[in-house]
Amino acid sequence: MKHVSMKMTVAGGALLALSGGAMAQENISFWYESANPDQQVWMQDILIDGFEAENPDYKLTIDYRGNELDKQLRVAMLSGSGPDVVYTPGPSYVAPMAQNGQLLALDEYAGKYGWNDSILPVFLEMGRYDGKLYALPKTYETLGLYYNKSLFDENGWSVPTTIAELETLADQMLEKDIQPFSAGNADWRGANEWFVSIVLNSVAGPDNVYAALKGEMPWTAEPFVEAIETLNGWWEKGYFGANYFSIESGEQTIDLLAAGKAGMSPNGTWAFQNVPTYFDKAGTEPGFVGFPSKSGDPVFALGVGSTFSIAASSDVADGAAAVIDHIFSPGFYGTMGSVWQGEWNMPLRDLSGVEMSADVPPLYTQAMADLAESVGEGSYGYTTWTFLPPATNNALINGIEEVWLDRVSVPEYLATIDAQFQTEMAEGKVPAIPNR
Amino acid sequence: MHRLYVIPTLVINAAIIAIPALLTIMLAFYRWDGISSPVFVGLSNFESLWHDRVFWTALTNNLIWTVIFLTVPIAMGLLAATMMLVARRGSTFFQVVYFLPVIIATAITARIWQGMIYSPITGIFGLLERYGLEVANPLTQVHTALYGIAVVDLWHWWGFLCVIFFAALRQVPQDQVEAARVEGATFFQLMRYVLLPGIKPTIMLMLIMTVIWSFLVFDFVYILTQGGPAYSSEVLSTLAYRSAFYDLAVGKAAAVSVVISMFGLVATFFYIRAQAKEFEE
Repeated sequence: MKHVSMKMTVAGGALLALSGGAMAQENISFWYESANPDQQVWMQDILIDGFEAENPDYKLTIDYRGNELDKQLRVAMLSGSGPDVVYTPGPSYVAPMAQNGQLLALDEYAGKYGWNDSILPVFLEMGRYDGKLYALPKTYETLGLYYNKSLFDENGWSVPTTIAELETLADQMLEKDIQPFSAGNADWRGANEWFVSIVLNSVAGPDNVYAALKGEMPWTAEPFVEAIETLNGWWEKGYFGANYFSIESGEQTIDLLAAGKAGMSPNGTWAFQNVPTYFDKAGTEPGFVGFPSKSGDPVFALGVGSTFSIAASSDVADGAAAVIDHIFSPGFYGTMGSVWQGEWNMPLRDLSGVEMSADVPPLYTQAMADLAESVGEGSYGYTTWTFLPPATNNALINGIEEVWLDRVSVPEYLATIDAQFQTEMAEGKVPAIPNR
Repeated sequence: MHRLYVIPTLVINAAIIAIPALLTIMLAFYRWDGISSPVFVGLSNFESLWHDRVFWTALTNNLIWTVIFLTVPIAMGLLAATMMLVARRGSTFFQVVYFLPVIIATAITARIWQGMIYSPITGIFGLLERYGLEVANPLTQVHTALYGIAVVDLWHWWGFLCVIFFAALRQVPQDQVEAARVEGATFFQLMRYVLLPGIKPTIMLMLIMTVIWSFLVFDFVYILTQGGPAYSSEVLSTLAYRSAFYDLAVGKAAAVSVVISMFGLVATFFYIRAQAKEFEE
């Protein structure tokens, strides 16, 4: 009996010590979208454990909220019960949240941690509202043309650089019963906008898109008509194949490309995460280039899919800022980027201190270097999900199907987009557009 | 004192039905993005719906959906239930088989049909295509998308009606059925003059509930097509959802929800009237 009570005393003491230790730590909450089991392990090992080792005063808790995170976040922020680290679905969410006092201005932390120097200035501009910094982009991405290099070599095809070359090549593929573009939207209707973004930048050109985003040119202007007519022409000629609405935008498109059933795939850099799996399986070699353009120079459309902020209601704002700073460290960039490509590409100005694993596909590294260079030179394009306000973007995504399926004409489609854009612009919902 | 017993349900109703419903009606007269403060805009949301062709497409689709569900599953359910009544042998087995799709989660049913049946890559339709029989995925065609979804929902739904009708048919006094048989009534005469009148209240209830449910349909449409392609399978609830959570136009979404409720309200009126009448009888 004495032995048992002794054990209980020791256990009680240990519990007290543990709870005392835990009480000393401040809890930081962070809601993330979805992550598969492997990715959750990386989040634990690289983000949580890495952060807590450097910041023993804090305990970081990540809550996986799934694809509906943005809806949950909006309701939670409205009621003041959101997480400390606010992970928004993109810059278009930042302005209204900042406007309503839901986010903390980050300028003080930017000075303390040197973010003004370590992050590419374009991205800092995108996170500003009313002269104050409210958000940092989590990752930046671009659109380009994936192709099956083995198939190209076999047929003696060269990689197109202009729209005319692209169309000639696609016609040749059609003659050989090879689908030119591997693409689909069965799981994600938003995939439609990848192709609209591509033609807006590669046919109309980034300068015209910039003018339209600034309200200096209507979306009904001739360059945009030409862009959408080009896209519609591709659809009508069958470049997207007969099963576009049945194919899933992620793994299935890369699978078809790798298997040689399709020759090319207009897609984003996030698709790199599926490239090794399917090209290794098919025993073929992948290729990736900036999307061909009317002028012949590839245009890298800049995209920011999500951002980091701190909730105004957070009582551990210092801890939340430390989490964000940890994510923007070269060590985290290298370690996380080595295992999870395309998802954690923070816009660091200097990547010389970053060490990436040798397993990272060189194609991916090259694509991101090309994007960083075009951003540095200010010659980047604009993805619609980053720079358009929400309702305009939604009209763009769903409306293009109406064009493809002959339910509305190209001018009618653009008129709808323009009307919606002017309304949202008047309401101040257009995200910050960095000067060119 | 006994009236106090209704208080708990009244409180729950007020908290989760009445207050949100009133707030939704109120929001229909505001412009709100779900983040900033709402701005009163009067009837503007309803006016914009009036001029919105997607709204009319959605409303038409809801009406088509209602017609389909008022006829096909009810006819199928009635027929199968009557068959089970006539041929009692194996009726329990068939009840289980027919009812099984009802207990499978909607999302799973939808994914099974999308990936394993309709898909030209991974589904039975793809297999048929490989054998030279080309069948287009109905979910990808503007003229068939709504019907493609309806087939999935019908498969999921009709068994429920069948079991309900079978339970009701079993309550029809056996002496009436026997008397009709002795009089030499044919199967159709038995149906027309004995069985159907005997379960009329159940059929009425199911018809009214079908109208209400048809205007609330969301899950299968959202999972299978998200209202596409080109808005061809859009229904009012998916329009409301997209307005609220993608366009960030919560006021417009509330206005659509008010329209949905109007149809539900009309059906509820008939339901309550039918109930009252039955009660009086």
